[in-house]
Amino acid sequence: MAVKKLVGQVTPEEKNEIQTLFERRNGLNELAKILTADNAELYERLVKDLGETGAKFQGWWDRMAEKYQWESSENGNWEIDFATCEIYLVTV
Amino acid sequence: MNSIKNITFIVTKDCQLACKYCYLVGKNSKERMPWEVAKQAIDYILGHEEDFREESVVWDFIGGEPFLEIELIDKICDYLKTEMFRRNHHWFNSYRFSFSTNGINYDSPKVQEFITKNHEHLSIGITIDGTKRKHDLNRIYKGGAERGSYDDVVRNIPLWLKQFPHGGTKVTISSADIPYIKESVLHLFSLGIREVHINVVFENVWKEDDDKLFGDQLIQLADEIIDGGYYNDYSCSFFSENIGKPLDRVLYNQNWCGAGMMLSVDAAGNFYPCTRFAAYSLRSKKPIIIGNVHDGIDKNKLRPFLTLDRTTQSRQECIDCEVASGCAWCQGENYDAADTATIYQRATAICKMHKARVRANNYYWNKLYRKLELEDMREEFEKSKPKSNDLIC
Amino acid sequence: MLQYLIILLDETSTSFCHYENTRKERNLIPLDVLKKGIRYGMMENLMIQFVFPKYDLPQEYKDEVETIDHSKIKPIADEADVWVADEPAKVDGNVPVVLRVSKEVLFEKENEVVEMLKSVPRLNIVLTDVETFTENDFTRYKSLLERVAAEVERMYVDGKSPQINLLTDRMMLSAMNNCGAGDMSVTLAPNGKFYVCPAFYYENEEDSIGDLEHGLDIRNKQLYKLEYAPICRHCDAYQCKRCVWLNRKTTLEVNTPSHEQCVVAHLERNASKELLRNIRKHGTFLPEKEDIKEIDYLDPFDKRETWQ
Repeated sequence: MAVKKLVGQVTPEEKNEIQTLFERRNGLNELAKILTADNAELYERLVKDLGETGAKFQGWWDRMAEKYQWESSENGNWEIDFATCEIYLVTV
Repeated sequence: MNSIKNITFIVTKDCQLACKYCYLVGKNSKERMPWEVAKQAIDYILGHEEDFREESVVWDFIGGEPFLEIELIDKICDYLKTEMFRRNHHWFNSYRFSFSTNGINYDSPKVQEFITKNHEHLSIGITIDGTKRKHDLNRIYKGGAERGSYDDVVRNIPLWLKQFPHGGTKVTISSADIPYIKESVLHLFSLGIREVHINVVFENVWKEDDDKLFGDQLIQLADEIIDGGYYNDYSCSFFSENIGKPLDRVLYNQNWCGAGMMLSVDAAGNFYPCTRFAAYSLRSKKPIIIGNVHDGIDKNKLRPFLTLDRTTQSRQECIDCEVASGCAWCQGENYDAADTATIYQRATAICKMHKARVRANNYYWNKLYRKLELEDMREEFEKSKPKSNDLIC
Repeated sequence: MLQYLIILLDETSTSFCHYENTRKERNLIPLDVLKKGIRYGMMENLMIQFVFPKYDLPQEYKDEVETIDHSKIKPIADEADVWVADEPAKVDGNVPVVLRVSKEVLFEKENEVVEMLKSVPRLNIVLTDVETFTENDFTRYKSLLERVAAEVERMYVDGKSPQINLLTDRMMLSAMNNCGAGDMSVTLAPNGKFYVCPAFYYENEEDSIGDLEHGLDIRNKQLYKLEYAPICRHCDAYQCKRCVWLNRKTTLEVNTPSHEQCVVAHLERNASKELLRNIRKHGTFLPEKEDIKEIDYLDPFDKRETWQ
């Protein structure tokens, strides 16, 4: 059973940044389900955007982890609560 | 606060049901939105990004029963996703597709396929009025045989909650429903629905003593929720800490209803400030059409909506009311019930019902907080209490 | 508070405001209705304004009109309190004139308008198509007002006191002074029914607000008052006509003006501000009045987030 532990909090501005990236990533993933290579120009843009958004997403977690030095665990990952800006360590 | 634009496609005026309280007086099976109209509406809206500056958008699909048009909806959503991305529109980063369905064909392959494809962006509410007895009192199939729809809806609830564990339901209370409020809310909780958005209809349907019966039901419900310990995990929007207070006429002068800040488009390609202003929703007034997909929006027709405030449309009795907060109104019903063709005359048919709700609400919070204090649990409850939005239309 | 009763003496009574009266068939108000209307005005303490058609009235009507203190609104012809013109032209006679013109006529015949102003004690210009103004029209109107204001300034320097509603009214006013239809005035039509104003009658005869037999019945009466007009009550373009008929036509609400109405009124307001400032450069003028403030908008609607 997963255990959630509160390990920190980010600022609302930082939360907005990751939330936008999170939403964009979801949007791109669902767009990927309907866009085919037939639509070459858009498809290429999508693939490029997926790569860039994924990198920005990971970059945010790396930057924040560095800044806040949250507790971590080998068999866990961090989660953010968009409503409260709180960061949780979730371990299984 | 994140600003949200709500854009509604009236995809069909058809429905499998003929609910007795339905405000849609002009439902029919003929008016289905053609794809071309939907596309033109989308092209107009996304092509005028400067007029739609809200940070987020909810693309809402309404009927009749929207899932009767699942193929059209699927095509619309695909086009929306593609176009928002292609145009690099700011809404691509923040959008939802929202549905309020009667739940009858929720498990159909086409609806399920659509859900799988768009799950991360979906908000789906299934309307179930409570117990079988209560639900089937109003939510009957069309055709005149008084056949209730409860069994066909409730079989889909587990699937829906599995896909949307935080799914809430919307319950509408009319005069005949009052005796069933307590059992209905508890029944919905027992089905696993944690958020019950419930409100009384705005129309002038109330009989003498309905407020007393209503108050009695709410008190009984309050006792059940508190004594049964439901308050930690479930919420019923009838009970809200913010209602029943006087409102300062300057500080709290904003309009309640979002009409005008929303946009609806119908099968003919006409734009409305809200679906309630379309002809099929109105009993006695002409529709308020604010434009169409060819000519765009006539911004002059939005001005009354965007400058409407609480006190200008309210009678002195309402402005001075000591329990004013939480007393809702629907701009469309105000317009429909007004003495002249205006949105500036607030209908007050729910006055005595609101007052009854306030009294029961006071009882609920007094009783709950006393219990929590005696159990030394109040602080913990405050931290984690379930939130309920006062959803009213 | 109701102060004026406008009585349309005939179906073809001249239009003196934004609406067009396209009716051609003469249909005099029945004499008994006229008598009852005058009696109603007397009983309610209302000042009566008779609106005349182009043709000469029968003598018994003329006699009846004279049974009460009143004003006469007539096409330019014989004796009246207000004359109505549909074209700018020099006028002989010491009578205030309402000039009803479209924007194009106004732009094209600016010189004639200025000449007209010089020949009348007061000129009320009514734009008959204010709702059709475009951005380009606003620019043209602004320039026109500036040029006419320069003429008005010269006239003041020459010792005259011209009055033109678009420019001089705002200088004199300290509060809203609008049309007042439905609040300060109502109209009695030839059919014996009351209307908010003549425009409401000509647009839809079913849109009455009572009749002589049963009296007035103005539903949602408060909406004709300034306090119930969210945009207007925050506005200081005090000279604006605030036409409730045009409001309803353009926004579907009598209490809400269109964008075009607001911008036109603010262009006039701002031109009045400059005119007042310029006249004062020549000497003391309206010392009891404060300067008209500099503002950064042309449509109060755009500032709605700042309203309290």
